[in-house]
Amino acid sequence: MKVAVLSESPADVAALHILIDGLLLRPTQPIEPPQQSRTRGWSDVLQVLPAVLKHLHYRTDTQAFAVVIDADASPLHQPTHEVPGREVAKCRLCQLRRVATQTQQQLRPVSGRIPVQVAIGIAVPAIEAWYRCGLEPHINEITYLQNPQTVTDFHTRNHLKRYVYGTERPSLPLETQQAVAAAQRLVQSLSDLERLFPNGFGALARDVRSWTLG
Amino acid sequence: MIELMQFRNFKVLRDTQLPLSRFTLIVGPNGSGKSTAMQALRFVAQPGPFQFTQVATLGLLPTTTETVEVILRWGVPHEGVITTTHWGPRGWSRSHAKCSGANLSEREEQSLNVKLDRSRIYSLHTNVITIPVELSPNLELQEDGRYFAGVLDQLRDREPERFEALNEELGRWLPEFDRILFDTPSSGHRAFLLRTRKGRHALPASDLSQGTLLALTILTLAYLPDPPPIICFEEPDRGIHPRLLRHVQDALYRLSYPESVGEVRQPVQVLATTHSPYFLDLFKDHPEEIIIAHKVGQEARFERLSDQPAIAEMLGEAPLGEIWYSGILGGVPVES
Repeated sequence: MKVAVLSESPADVAALHILIDGLLLRPTQPIEPPQQSRTRGWSDVLQVLPAVLKHLHYRTDTQAFAVVIDADASPLHQPTHEVPGREVAKCRLCQLRRVATQTQQQLRPVSGRIPVQVAIGIAVPAIEAWYRCGLEPHINEITYLQNPQTVTDFHTRNHLKRYVYGTERPSLPLETQQAVAAAQRLVQSLSDLERLFPNGFGALARDVRSWTLG
Repeated sequence: MIELMQFRNFKVLRDTQLPLSRFTLIVGPNGSGKSTAMQALRFVAQPGPFQFTQVATLGLLPTTTETVEVILRWGVPHEGVITTTHWGPRGWSRSHAKCSGANLSEREEQSLNVKLDRSRIYSLHTNVITIPVELSPNLELQEDGRYFAGVLDQLRDREPERFEALNEELGRWLPEFDRILFDTPSSGHRAFLLRTRKGRHALPASDLSQGTLLALTILTLAYLPDPPPIICFEEPDRGIHPRLLRHVQDALYRLSYPESVGEVRQPVQVLATTHSPYFLDLFKDHPEEIIIAHKVGQEARFERLSDQPAIAEMLGEAPLGEIWYSGILGGVPVES
Protein backbone atom coordinates (compact mmCIF):
# COMPACT_ATOMS: atom_id res chain seq x y z
CA MET A 1 0.00 0.00 0.00
CA LYS A 2 1.42 3.38 -0.99
CA VAL A 3 0.99 5.96 1.73
CA ALA A 4 1.73 9.69 1.71
CA VAL A 5 2.08 11.70 4.91
CA LEU A 6 1.78 15.45 5.34
CA SER A 7 3.05 16.94 8.57
CA GLU A 8 5.02 19.90 9.88
CA SER A 9 8.51 18.38 9.73
CA PRO A 10 10.26 15.61 7.77
CA ALA A 11 11.21 14.09 11.13
CA ASP A 12 7.53 13.72 12.00
CA VAL A 13 6.77 12.26 8.58
CA ALA A 14 9.37 9.54 9.21
CA ALA A 15 7.87 8.75 12.62
CA LEU A 16 4.30 8.77 11.34
CA HIS A 17 5.07 6.19 8.67
CA ILE A 18 6.21 3.85 11.46
CA LEU A 19 3.06 4.49 13.51
CA ILE A 20 0.83 3.94 10.48
CA ASP A 21 2.56 0.63 9.70
CA GLY A 22 1.93 -0.34 13.32
CA LEU A 23 -1.74 0.55 13.10
CA LEU A 24 -2.14 -1.43 9.87
CA LEU A 25 -0.03 -4.33 11.18
CA ARG A 26 1.83 -4.43 7.87
CA PRO A 27 4.53 -2.39 6.15
CA THR A 28 3.42 0.29 3.75
CA GLN A 29 5.35 1.97 0.98
CA PRO A 30 6.12 5.62 1.71
CA ILE A 31 5.85 8.06 -1.17
CA GLU A 32 9.43 8.93 -1.98
CA PRO A 33 10.87 12.38 -2.61
CA PRO A 34 10.41 14.56 -4.60
CA GLN A 35 6.71 13.84 -4.08
CA GLN A 36 7.19 14.29 -0.33
CA SER A 37 5.27 17.32 0.85
CA ARG A 38 6.38 19.93 3.35
CA THR A 39 4.48 22.67 5.10
CA ARG A 40 5.33 25.79 7.04
CA GLY A 41 2.91 25.22 9.89
CA TRP A 42 -0.78 25.01 10.57
CA SER A 43 -2.22 27.74 8.36
CA ASP A 44 -0.04 26.52 5.53
CA VAL A 45 -1.35 22.95 5.92
CA LEU A 46 -4.89 24.21 5.49
CA GLN A 47 -3.92 26.13 2.36
CA VAL A 48 -1.88 23.41 0.66
CA LEU A 49 -4.08 20.45 1.60
CA PRO A 50 -6.40 20.74 -1.45
CA ALA A 51 -3.42 20.99 -3.83
CA VAL A 52 -1.67 18.02 -2.21
CA LEU A 53 -4.82 15.89 -2.41
CA LYS A 54 -5.28 16.80 -6.09
CA HIS A 55 -1.62 16.03 -6.77
CA LEU A 56 -1.92 12.61 -5.12
CA HIS A 57 -5.15 11.83 -6.99
CA TYR A 58 -4.22 12.97 -10.49
CA ARG A 59 -0.46 12.44 -10.63
CA THR A 60 0.39 9.50 -8.37
CA ASP A 61 -0.84 6.02 -7.51
CA THR A 62 -0.94 6.80 -3.79
CA GLN A 63 -3.65 4.80 -2.06
CA ALA A 64 -3.80 6.49 1.32
CA PHE A 65 -2.87 9.84 2.80
CA ALA A 66 -2.37 10.83 6.44
CA VAL A 67 -2.25 14.38 7.75
CA VAL A 68 -1.06 15.14 11.26
CA ILE A 69 -0.66 18.62 12.68
CA ASP A 70 0.00 20.14 16.08
CA ALA A 71 -2.98 21.51 18.01
CA ASP A 72 -0.90 24.27 19.64
CA ALA A 73 -3.47 26.41 21.46
CA SER A 74 -6.49 25.51 19.34
CA PRO A 75 -9.58 23.89 20.88
CA LEU A 76 -9.14 20.18 21.55
CA HIS A 77 -11.12 17.89 19.29
CA GLN A 78 -13.97 16.27 21.25
CA PRO A 79 -16.22 13.24 20.58
CA THR A 80 -19.15 15.66 20.27
CA HIS A 81 -17.50 17.17 17.16
CA GLU A 82 -17.99 13.82 15.43
CA VAL A 83 -21.75 14.32 15.31
CA PRO A 84 -22.71 15.67 11.86
CA GLY A 85 -23.52 19.36 12.08
CA ARG A 86 -21.66 19.77 15.39
CA GLU A 87 -18.19 20.37 13.98
CA VAL A 88 -16.35 23.23 15.68
CA ALA A 89 -15.06 25.99 13.44
CA LYS A 90 -11.83 26.54 15.36
CA CYS A 91 -11.03 22.86 15.88
CA ARG A 92 -8.17 22.07 13.51
CA LEU A 93 -9.23 18.46 13.05
CA CYS A 94 -12.75 19.55 12.06
CA GLN A 95 -11.31 22.15 9.67
CA LEU A 96 -8.97 19.67 8.00
CA ARG A 97 -11.74 17.12 7.61
CA ARG A 98 -14.01 19.74 6.03
CA VAL A 99 -11.33 20.84 3.55
CA ALA A 100 -10.36 17.24 2.70
CA THR A 101 -13.99 16.19 2.18
CA GLN A 102 -14.79 19.23 0.02
CA THR A 103 -11.67 18.68 -2.09
CA GLN A 104 -12.37 14.99 -2.62
CA GLN A 105 -15.92 15.76 -3.71
CA GLN A 106 -14.49 18.00 -6.45
CA LEU A 107 -12.02 15.45 -7.84
CA ARG A 108 -12.70 14.07 -11.32
CA PRO A 109 -12.72 10.27 -11.49
CA VAL A 110 -9.53 8.83 -12.93
CA SER A 111 -9.76 5.60 -14.85
CA GLY A 112 -8.59 2.62 -12.78
CA ARG A 113 -8.10 4.77 -9.73
CA ILE A 114 -10.03 4.65 -6.48
CA PRO A 115 -10.09 7.83 -4.41
CA VAL A 116 -7.21 8.36 -1.99
CA GLN A 117 -8.20 7.29 1.52
CA VAL A 118 -7.55 10.00 4.08
CA ALA A 119 -6.68 9.87 7.78
CA ILE A 120 -6.31 12.97 9.94
CA GLY A 121 -4.81 13.31 13.39
CA ILE A 122 -4.03 16.16 15.72
CA ALA A 123 -1.23 16.14 18.26
CA VAL A 124 -2.05 17.89 21.53
CA PRO A 125 -0.36 20.26 22.05
CA ALA A 126 2.46 19.14 19.72
CA ILE A 127 3.68 15.84 18.32
CA GLU A 128 6.50 15.78 20.86
CA ALA A 129 3.80 14.97 23.45
CA TRP A 130 3.11 11.71 21.58
CA TYR A 131 6.84 10.95 21.55
CA ARG A 132 6.92 11.20 25.36
CA CYS A 133 3.73 9.17 25.86
CA GLY A 134 4.21 6.58 28.57
CA LEU A 135 7.42 8.16 29.84
CA GLU A 136 5.86 11.13 31.67
CA PRO A 137 2.49 10.38 33.27
CA HIS A 138 1.36 14.02 33.06
CA ILE A 139 1.78 14.16 29.29
CA ASN A 140 -1.64 13.32 27.90
CA GLU A 141 -4.62 15.08 26.33
CA ILE A 142 -6.52 15.40 29.61
CA THR A 143 -3.73 17.41 31.24
CA TYR A 144 -3.73 19.88 28.37
CA LEU A 145 -7.51 19.99 28.31
CA GLN A 146 -7.52 20.95 31.98
CA ASN A 147 -4.73 23.53 31.59
CA PRO A 148 -5.27 25.02 28.15
CA GLN A 149 -3.31 28.16 29.01
CA THR A 150 -0.12 26.11 29.30
CA VAL A 151 -0.03 25.50 25.57
CA THR A 152 -0.27 29.15 24.58
CA ASP A 153 3.21 30.06 25.70
CA PHE A 154 6.45 29.21 24.01
CA HIS A 155 7.83 27.59 27.16
CA THR A 156 5.53 24.58 26.98
CA ARG A 157 6.51 23.76 23.41
CA ASN A 158 10.17 24.36 24.19
CA HIS A 159 9.96 22.20 27.33
CA LEU A 160 8.49 19.39 25.27
CA LYS A 161 11.35 19.74 22.82
CA ARG A 162 13.82 19.59 25.67
CA TYR A 163 12.13 16.43 27.00
CA VAL A 164 12.28 14.72 23.63
CA TYR A 165 15.49 15.98 22.04
CA GLY A 166 17.50 17.15 25.06
CA THR A 167 17.62 20.67 23.61
CA GLU A 168 15.18 23.37 22.55
CA ARG A 169 17.06 23.72 19.26
CA PRO A 170 17.41 20.20 17.84
CA SER A 171 19.08 19.76 14.49
CA LEU A 172 17.03 18.00 11.84
CA PRO A 173 19.11 14.77 12.02
CA LEU A 174 18.70 14.70 15.82
CA GLU A 175 14.99 15.44 15.52
CA THR A 176 14.57 12.65 12.98
CA GLN A 177 16.63 10.18 15.02
CA GLN A 178 14.62 10.83 18.18
CA ALA A 179 11.25 10.91 16.42
CA VAL A 180 11.96 7.58 14.73
CA ALA A 181 13.22 6.05 18.00
CA ALA A 182 10.08 7.25 19.78
CA ALA A 183 7.84 5.85 17.05
CA GLN A 184 9.62 2.50 17.23
CA ARG A 185 8.96 2.44 20.98
CA LEU A 186 5.34 3.60 20.66
CA VAL A 187 4.49 1.10 17.98
CA GLN A 188 4.93 -1.62 20.62
CA SER A 189 2.10 -0.11 22.68
CA LEU A 190 -0.17 1.82 20.36
CA SER A 191 -3.12 1.13 22.65
CA ASP A 192 -1.47 3.32 25.33
CA LEU A 193 -1.01 6.15 22.84
CA GLU A 194 -4.63 5.80 21.81
CA ARG A 195 -5.81 5.71 25.43
CA LEU A 196 -3.81 8.78 26.52
CA PHE A 197 -4.48 10.77 23.33
CA PRO A 198 -7.98 9.46 22.49
CA ASN A 199 -9.12 12.40 20.38
CA GLY A 200 -5.97 13.44 18.52
CA PHE A 201 -4.15 10.16 17.97
CA GLY A 202 -7.36 8.17 18.38
CA ALA A 203 -8.91 9.97 15.40
CA LEU A 204 -5.88 9.14 13.25
CA ALA A 205 -5.87 5.52 14.39
CA ARG A 206 -9.56 5.02 13.63
CA ASP A 207 -9.17 6.55 10.15
CA VAL A 208 -6.10 4.47 9.35
CA ARG A 209 -7.73 1.23 10.50
CA SER A 210 -10.70 1.98 8.27
CA TRP A 211 -8.50 2.07 5.15
CA THR A 212 -9.13 -0.67 2.63
CA LEU A 213 -5.80 -2.36 2.14
CA GLY A 214 -4.60 -2.57 -1.43
CA MET B 1 29.00 37.13 24.85
CA ILE B 2 27.81 40.64 24.05
CA GLU B 3 24.41 41.18 25.67
CA LEU B 4 23.71 44.66 24.42
CA MET B 5 25.06 47.15 21.89
CA GLN B 6 24.24 50.82 22.45
CA PHE B 7 24.66 53.36 19.68
CA ARG B 8 24.82 57.12 19.72
CA ASN B 9 25.27 59.10 16.50
CA PHE B 10 26.66 56.01 14.76
CA LYS B 11 25.51 56.44 11.17
CA VAL B 12 21.77 55.66 10.93
CA LEU B 13 21.81 54.43 14.55
CA ARG B 14 21.42 57.82 16.19
CA ASP B 15 20.16 56.71 19.57
CA THR B 16 19.21 53.09 19.98
CA GLN B 17 20.27 49.80 21.48
CA LEU B 18 20.43 46.26 20.19
CA PRO B 19 19.85 43.38 22.66
CA LEU B 20 21.71 40.24 21.63
CA SER B 21 21.40 36.54 22.43
CA ARG B 22 23.76 33.70 21.61
CA PHE B 23 21.91 33.67 18.30
CA THR B 24 20.18 36.81 17.01
CA LEU B 25 18.29 37.30 13.75
CA ILE B 26 17.55 40.84 12.60
CA VAL B 27 14.75 41.60 10.16
CA GLY B 28 13.87 44.99 8.78
CA PRO B 29 13.66 47.09 5.64
CA ASN B 30 16.69 48.14 3.62
CA GLY B 31 18.54 50.95 5.35
CA SER B 32 17.21 50.12 8.82
CA GLY B 33 20.63 49.66 10.37
CA LYS B 34 20.97 45.87 10.25
CA SER B 35 24.29 45.88 8.44
CA THR B 36 25.37 49.05 10.25
CA ALA B 37 25.02 47.29 13.60
CA MET B 38 27.29 44.52 12.33
CA GLN B 39 29.72 47.04 10.90
CA ALA B 40 29.88 48.67 14.32
CA LEU B 41 31.54 45.54 15.66
CA ARG B 42 34.31 45.87 13.08
CA PHE B 43 34.70 49.56 13.89
CA VAL B 44 34.93 48.80 17.61
CA ALA B 45 37.47 46.04 16.97
CA GLN B 46 39.67 48.42 14.96
CA PRO B 47 38.52 51.99 15.60
CA GLY B 48 41.75 53.56 14.43
CA PRO B 49 41.39 53.74 10.68
CA PHE B 50 38.03 55.52 10.82
CA GLN B 51 37.51 59.27 10.95
CA PHE B 52 34.63 61.00 12.74
CA THR B 53 32.93 61.80 9.45
CA GLN B 54 33.02 58.13 8.38
CA VAL B 55 31.10 56.92 11.42
CA ALA B 56 28.92 59.90 12.33
CA THR B 57 25.21 60.29 11.65
CA LEU B 58 24.59 62.16 8.44
CA GLY B 59 24.61 65.93 9.03
CA LEU B 60 26.33 65.72 12.41
CA LEU B 61 28.87 68.50 12.60
CA PRO B 62 32.27 67.76 14.14
CA THR B 63 31.74 70.02 17.15
CA THR B 64 33.39 69.31 20.47
CA THR B 65 30.09 68.55 22.24
CA GLU B 66 28.83 65.79 19.97
CA THR B 67 30.60 62.44 19.76
CA VAL B 68 29.91 59.11 18.15
CA GLU B 69 29.66 56.29 20.65
CA VAL B 70 29.25 52.53 20.54
CA ILE B 71 28.98 50.71 23.86
CA LEU B 72 29.12 46.94 24.23
CA ARG B 73 27.74 45.37 27.40
CA TRP B 74 29.21 41.94 27.92
CA GLY B 75 27.65 38.89 29.54
CA VAL B 76 29.17 35.53 30.50
CA PRO B 77 32.12 35.14 30.90
CA HIS B 78 32.70 38.89 31.11
CA GLU B 79 29.63 39.90 33.17
CA GLY B 80 29.55 43.52 34.16
CA VAL B 81 32.14 44.64 31.63
CA ILE B 82 31.43 47.42 29.16
CA THR B 83 33.51 48.41 26.16
CA THR B 84 33.11 52.03 25.15
CA THR B 85 34.34 53.40 21.84
CA HIS B 86 34.20 57.12 21.04
CA TRP B 87 34.94 58.95 17.86
CA GLY B 88 35.24 62.71 18.15
CA PRO B 89 36.59 65.47 15.96
CA ARG B 90 39.98 65.05 17.62
CA GLY B 91 40.27 61.30 17.35
CA TRP B 92 39.00 58.12 18.89
CA SER B 93 39.27 56.18 22.13
CA ARG B 94 38.32 52.68 23.26
CA SER B 95 38.24 51.35 26.77
CA HIS B 96 37.05 48.27 28.64
CA ALA B 97 35.76 48.83 32.17
CA LYS B 98 33.70 47.12 34.84
CA CYS B 99 30.35 48.74 35.68
CA SER B 100 31.19 48.31 39.36
CA GLY B 101 34.30 50.44 38.97
CA ALA B 102 36.55 47.50 39.85
CA ASN B 103 39.73 47.08 37.89
CA LEU B 104 39.78 44.86 34.85
CA SER B 105 42.65 42.41 34.79
CA GLU B 106 45.11 42.64 31.93
CA ARG B 107 44.24 39.08 31.02
CA GLU B 108 40.51 39.83 30.75
CA GLU B 109 41.22 42.94 28.72
CA GLN B 110 43.35 40.88 26.37
CA SER B 111 40.63 38.26 26.09
CA LEU B 112 38.08 40.93 25.11
CA ASN B 113 40.45 42.38 22.51
CA VAL B 114 41.02 38.94 20.99
CA LYS B 115 37.25 38.34 20.78
CA LEU B 116 36.73 41.63 19.02
CA ASP B 117 39.72 41.15 16.71
CA ARG B 118 38.58 37.68 15.74
CA SER B 119 34.95 38.69 15.10
CA ARG B 120 33.97 38.27 11.45
CA ILE B 121 31.21 39.67 9.26
CA TYR B 122 30.62 37.19 6.46
CA SER B 123 29.19 38.48 3.23
CA LEU B 124 30.06 35.58 0.97
CA HIS B 125 30.75 35.93 -2.75
CA THR B 126 30.51 32.79 -4.82
CA ASN B 127 33.09 33.91 -7.38
CA VAL B 128 35.60 34.26 -4.52
CA ILE B 129 34.71 30.99 -2.76
CA THR B 130 35.72 29.05 -5.89
CA ILE B 131 39.17 30.62 -6.34
CA PRO B 132 42.03 28.07 -5.98
CA VAL B 133 44.10 28.85 -2.89
CA GLU B 134 47.83 29.14 -2.55
CA LEU B 135 48.57 26.86 0.40
CA SER B 136 50.11 28.23 3.56
CA PRO B 137 49.83 27.27 7.23
CA ASN B 138 46.80 28.43 9.24
CA LEU B 139 44.57 29.73 6.49
CA GLU B 140 41.42 31.36 7.79
CA LEU B 141 38.19 31.78 5.89
CA GLN B 142 37.91 35.42 4.89
CA GLU B 143 34.72 37.42 5.16
CA ASP B 144 34.04 37.21 1.41
CA GLY B 145 34.74 33.44 1.30
CA ARG B 146 38.38 33.71 0.19
CA TYR B 147 40.68 30.77 1.06
CA PHE B 148 37.73 28.38 1.28
CA ALA B 149 39.50 25.53 -0.55
CA GLY B 150 42.49 25.94 1.79
CA VAL B 151 40.28 25.85 4.87
CA LEU B 152 38.64 22.64 3.65
CA ASP B 153 42.08 21.17 2.92
CA GLN B 154 43.26 22.01 6.46
CA LEU B 155 40.14 20.51 7.99
CA ARG B 156 40.70 17.25 6.09
CA ASP B 157 44.35 17.02 7.20
CA ARG B 158 44.05 18.22 10.80
CA GLU B 159 40.54 17.17 11.81
CA PRO B 160 39.69 14.10 9.71
CA GLU B 161 36.73 13.13 11.91
CA ARG B 162 35.19 16.57 11.53
CA PHE B 163 35.85 16.44 7.80
CA GLU B 164 34.03 13.10 7.60
CA ALA B 165 31.12 14.48 9.59
CA LEU B 166 31.02 17.46 7.23
CA ASN B 167 30.83 15.11 4.25
CA GLU B 168 27.99 13.21 5.89
CA GLU B 169 26.09 16.40 6.60
CA LEU B 170 26.72 17.58 3.04
CA GLY B 171 24.95 14.43 1.87
CA ARG B 172 21.92 15.33 3.97
CA TRP B 173 21.81 18.93 2.72
CA LEU B 174 22.52 18.16 -0.93
CA PRO B 175 21.82 14.46 -1.52
CA GLU B 176 23.07 14.67 -5.11
CA PHE B 177 26.63 14.96 -3.72
CA ASP B 178 28.48 12.55 -1.44
CA ARG B 179 31.96 13.95 -0.96
CA ILE B 180 34.29 16.92 -1.09
CA LEU B 181 37.32 16.24 -3.27
CA PHE B 182 40.49 18.24 -3.91
CA ASP B 183 42.56 19.11 -6.91
CA THR B 184 45.97 20.73 -7.41
CA PRO B 185 45.44 23.04 -10.37
CA SER B 186 49.01 24.35 -10.17
CA SER B 187 52.00 23.86 -7.93
CA GLY B 188 51.18 24.79 -4.31
CA HIS B 189 47.55 25.57 -5.06
CA ARG B 190 44.44 23.77 -3.90
CA ALA B 191 40.96 23.72 -5.41
CA PHE B 192 37.90 21.80 -4.27
CA LEU B 193 35.29 19.79 -6.13
CA LEU B 194 32.10 17.98 -5.17
CA ARG B 195 31.55 14.37 -6.19
CA THR B 196 28.10 13.41 -7.44
CA ARG B 197 26.50 10.47 -5.66
CA LYS B 198 25.26 9.07 -8.96
CA GLY B 199 28.05 8.34 -11.40
CA ARG B 200 30.75 9.67 -9.06
CA HIS B 201 31.61 12.60 -11.28
CA ALA B 202 33.79 15.33 -9.77
CA LEU B 203 32.28 18.77 -10.36
CA PRO B 204 34.74 21.66 -10.08
CA ALA B 205 33.74 24.42 -7.67
CA SER B 206 33.30 26.82 -10.57
CA ASP B 207 30.56 24.56 -11.99
CA LEU B 208 28.55 24.43 -8.77
CA SER B 209 25.45 26.56 -8.31
CA GLN B 210 25.61 29.70 -6.19
CA GLY B 211 23.25 28.21 -3.60
CA THR B 212 25.39 25.07 -3.34
CA LEU B 213 28.54 27.11 -2.77
CA LEU B 214 26.94 29.35 -0.15
CA ALA B 215 25.35 26.41 1.67
CA LEU B 216 28.63 24.48 1.69
CA THR B 217 30.54 27.47 3.08
CA ILE B 218 28.08 28.05 5.93
CA LEU B 219 28.04 24.34 6.70
CA THR B 220 31.85 24.22 6.78
CA LEU B 221 32.02 27.16 9.19
CA ALA B 222 29.78 25.24 11.56
CA TYR B 223 32.17 22.28 11.50
CA LEU B 224 35.40 24.22 12.13
CA PRO B 225 37.08 23.27 15.42
CA ASP B 226 37.81 26.88 16.40
CA PRO B 227 35.43 29.24 14.64
CA PRO B 228 35.55 33.01 15.31
CA PRO B 229 33.98 33.84 18.69
CA ILE B 230 31.56 36.33 17.13
CA ILE B 231 30.15 35.73 13.65
CA CYS B 232 27.87 38.01 11.69
CA PHE B 233 26.14 36.77 8.55
CA GLU B 234 24.60 39.01 5.94
CA GLU B 235 21.59 37.03 4.72
CA PRO B 236 22.77 33.44 5.25
CA ASP B 237 19.60 32.34 3.40
CA ARG B 238 20.62 34.15 0.20
CA GLY B 239 20.46 31.95 -2.88
CA ILE B 240 19.43 28.89 -0.89
CA HIS B 241 16.23 26.96 -1.59
CA PRO B 242 13.55 27.52 1.09
CA ARG B 243 13.50 23.82 1.92
CA LEU B 244 17.21 23.93 2.78
CA LEU B 245 16.77 26.79 5.22
CA ARG B 246 16.09 24.40 8.07
CA HIS B 247 19.61 23.04 7.51
CA VAL B 248 21.02 26.57 7.53
CA GLN B 249 19.27 27.15 10.85
CA ASP B 250 20.81 23.92 12.17
CA ALA B 251 24.28 25.10 11.11
CA LEU B 252 23.86 28.47 12.82
CA TYR B 253 22.57 26.81 16.00
CA ARG B 254 25.49 24.37 15.83
CA LEU B 255 27.75 27.41 16.10
CA SER B 256 25.86 29.16 18.89
CA TYR B 257 24.61 26.13 20.84
CA PRO B 258 27.45 23.59 20.37
CA GLU B 259 26.33 21.60 23.40
CA SER B 260 23.03 20.77 21.66
CA VAL B 261 24.96 18.66 19.12
CA GLY B 262 27.53 17.32 21.56
CA GLU B 263 30.28 19.72 20.45
CA VAL B 264 32.83 20.57 23.14
CA ARG B 265 33.90 24.14 22.41
CA GLN B 266 32.98 27.68 23.34
CA PRO B 267 29.68 28.90 21.88
CA VAL B 268 29.94 31.31 18.98
CA GLN B 269 27.80 34.41 19.20
CA VAL B 270 25.95 34.59 15.90
CA LEU B 271 24.24 37.65 14.50
CA ALA B 272 22.41 37.28 11.19
CA THR B 273 20.10 39.31 8.98
CA THR B 274 17.38 38.13 6.66
CA HIS B 275 14.67 39.35 4.32
CA SER B 276 13.19 35.88 3.96
CA PRO B 277 9.79 35.14 5.55
CA TYR B 278 10.58 31.44 5.08
CA PHE B 279 13.75 31.71 7.14
CA LEU B 280 12.00 33.78 9.79
CA ASP B 281 9.28 31.10 10.12
CA LEU B 282 11.84 28.75 11.61
CA PHE B 283 12.36 30.92 14.68
CA LYS B 284 8.73 31.21 15.80
CA ASP B 285 9.39 29.34 19.05
CA HIS B 286 12.18 31.72 19.99
CA PRO B 287 10.89 35.28 19.61
CA GLU B 288 13.61 36.39 22.03
CA GLU B 289 16.11 35.70 19.23
CA ILE B 290 14.37 37.97 16.73
CA ILE B 291 15.13 41.68 16.45
CA ILE B 292 12.84 43.93 14.47
CA ALA B 293 14.70 46.86 12.89
CA HIS B 294 12.45 49.91 12.48
CA LYS B 295 13.30 52.70 10.09
CA VAL B 296 11.94 56.04 11.19
CA GLY B 297 12.86 58.77 8.72
CA GLN B 298 16.65 58.90 8.59
CA GLU B 299 17.02 56.99 11.87
CA ALA B 300 16.73 53.36 12.86
CA ARG B 301 15.95 51.59 16.08
CA PHE B 302 15.80 47.99 17.23
CA GLU B 303 13.20 46.06 19.20
CA ARG B 304 13.29 42.51 20.46
CA LEU B 305 10.23 40.65 19.16
CA SER B 306 9.54 39.04 22.55
CA ASP B 307 9.31 42.53 24.07
CA GLN B 308 6.31 43.44 21.91
CA PRO B 309 3.07 43.36 23.92
CA ALA B 310 0.88 40.23 23.72
CA ILE B 311 3.26 38.68 21.22
CA ALA B 312 2.22 35.06 21.88
CA GLU B 313 -1.39 35.90 21.06
CA MET B 314 -0.35 38.01 18.08
CA LEU B 315 1.65 35.22 16.51
CA GLY B 316 -1.20 32.76 17.03
CA GLU B 317 -1.50 30.22 14.26
CA ALA B 318 0.08 31.94 11.28
CA PRO B 319 3.69 31.48 10.15
CA LEU B 320 5.89 34.16 11.73
CA GLY B 321 7.21 35.24 8.32
CA GLU B 322 3.71 35.96 7.07
CA ILE B 323 2.86 38.03 10.12
CA TRP B 324 6.07 40.01 9.70
CA TYR B 325 5.29 40.55 6.01
CA SER B 326 1.84 41.89 6.94
CA GLY B 327 3.57 44.76 8.71
CA ILE B 328 1.91 44.47 12.11
CA LEU B 329 5.22 43.65 13.80
CA GLY B 330 7.03 46.54 12.11
CA GLY B 331 10.32 46.09 10.31
CA VAL B 332 8.84 46.63 6.85
CA PRO B 333 9.46 49.40 4.30
CA VAL B 334 7.35 52.52 4.67
CA GLU B 335 5.28 53.12 1.54
CA SER B 336 5.19 56.61 0.10
